[in-house]
Amino acid sequence: MSDQDVSRRNFMIRTIIGIGAFIGAAISVPLAGFGILPVLRKKEPDWTDAGTAGDLMTDEPQERRFFQTVKNGWQEERVERTVWLVKKADGGITAFSPNCPHLGCGYRWFSQERQFKCPCHASLFAIDGKVISGPAPRALDTLSAKIESGKVLVKFEIFQVGTTKKAAA
Amino acid sequence: MVKGLLDWIDERFKIRDLWNDFADRPIPGGSSWFYVLGASLIFIFSLQMVTGILLAMYYAPTPDHAYASVKFIEEVAPFGSFVRGLHHWGASFMMVLVGLHMVRVFVFGAYKKPREIIWVLGVGLIAIVGGFAFTGYLLPWDQKAYWATVVGTNVAGTVPVVGGVLLRIVRGGTELGAFSLSRFFAIHTYILPWSLALLAGLHVFLLERAGAGGIWNAADRVPYKAEPLFPNQLFKDTVFIGMVFIALASMAVLFPAPLEPQADPTDSTYNPRPEWYFYFVFQMLKIFEGKLELLGTVILPNLGVAALLLIPFIDRSPERDPAKRKLMMAAGALFVATVIGLTIAGARAPIVNAPAVTSPSVLAGRAIYARNGCSACHGIFGKGGKIGPELTHVAARRPDAAWHLKHFRNPQAIVPGSIMPKLDLSDRELQELTDYMLSLK
Repeated sequence: MSDQDVSRRNFMIRTIIGIGAFIGAAISVPLAGFGILPVLRKKEPDWTDAGTAGDLMTDEPQERRFFQTVKNGWQEERVERTVWLVKKADGGITAFSPNCPHLGCGYRWFSQERQFKCPCHASLFAIDGKVISGPAPRALDTLSAKIESGKVLVKFEIFQVGTTKKAAA
Repeated sequence: MVKGLLDWIDERFKIRDLWNDFADRPIPGGSSWFYVLGASLIFIFSLQMVTGILLAMYYAPTPDHAYASVKFIEEVAPFGSFVRGLHHWGASFMMVLVGLHMVRVFVFGAYKKPREIIWVLGVGLIAIVGGFAFTGYLLPWDQKAYWATVVGTNVAGTVPVVGGVLLRIVRGGTELGAFSLSRFFAIHTYILPWSLALLAGLHVFLLERAGAGGIWNAADRVPYKAEPLFPNQLFKDTVFIGMVFIALASMAVLFPAPLEPQADPTDSTYNPRPEWYFYFVFQMLKIFEGKLELLGTVILPNLGVAALLLIPFIDRSPERDPAKRKLMMAAGALFVATVIGLTIAGARAPIVNAPAVTSPSVLAGRAIYARNGCSACHGIFGKGGKIGPELTHVAARRPDAAWHLKHFRNPQAIVPGSIMPKLDLSDRELQELTDYMLSLK
């Protein structure tokens, strides 16, 4: 091949690579954005009615089920949720996320031992959520909660498990 | 180090050999801008695959969610409108490029020995592309989707003897519903992509084995000239693909894919229109009506496909120069002109706004028809009995209102021997029923 042939060949190869790279870049950004961004959106939880406050007894944790309206893209669903509610002596209220911060199992309250126990790996928690023993890396996760005109309102959200710091999932 | 690793891998895969075979494939007469169409189709198909897979991440193929999910893609999801636009216009580009590709191969006589099977596979590929388009536009479940599919599937219903069963199989039931959508989705996203990938793979593989046809007089040219596929032809392919991509992306940005109101099976004011690439079928259905309908829906389309499939086996002379194949060129030109002509006629077809259909008396007539069990004997659009005459196009046969009124009052007086019962209805109701009959054109 003559020099001219070689440079022509090189020009063609470079053009092929260039146009290929251009199309690849121009298409991969929107496609990746479309595929990933909608599920990365953080949703700020709303106050949700979690039933009456009247039957809560001071320092007696109670499991409470209620429905939260969850919006997933185009779909709105009523999802059943559960929380542990503890009415405090000062009239305030604590709501615990129902999942053990270790690996997410559902724990429960044992009123005689006055402890929360997780059935999976035997983490024990005090009534204020602090870890007594077991593998749980942090205290039970609290949710924003308040009592308003006789009703318990909760901002239900889901937290990452297995970490020492509480963070929304 | 890296070179060592690559060499190690290549000793096992021998990709370089494969690539060299592919890259050095000679093109008789040299590379050409005429040959870029096939490669551009591979590009568009790949793009349709990628955008389609991503759209499927948010799309729900059920009548209660399909529309909302497409609306979410179009209006909420970042880049959603762009991705859907690419997929939507990609279909149109595919239609155009596939048509041009076929015409190019036809004119160059590239379907001749030893490439007959490549041509036959190509005809199959066109059918698959058509299937993609047809199943694709039901998915958004908007008005256009719904009505175009109602009409399109009814075409299957006109096939003699098996029409009714065929219609149900295609639709997934007697009317469009949950099964239609999930079945169209399954066909669109599983059956057709695999079929197309398989057939296209074979199409390209056979071309690889037979070698490129090149220009018809390549052998006679002095000095003999041939260029390799890479980089000469792939360079032209890539430049063309780049232009196609820019055009497609611009369309997606400037003209977002339309989304009409949600499908409403009770809306009689809507004017169904197919996508432009089915206008020629649409127009054909208007030309052949009544007894001739079968000609437009079944016979001619099948003859057309059969003719395409048979081309390489009928035209077996080795002559590839279009100037010396005048008969074939004329036949081809006639075929192309017919399709283009029908497409233009279809595009310019006046919108039939159907005020008669929505007029209160027609609606009242329809209700009377339903209330009195007329459908026990009569069929309209495939629904109802077969004892009495089919009423789908009754107004075309009996446009006279007086005839209907007299006939309703005393069927036997008008049609001797008729087993239709006299209708015990008020004058006003008879008038409404007549109006309904006259709306069935």
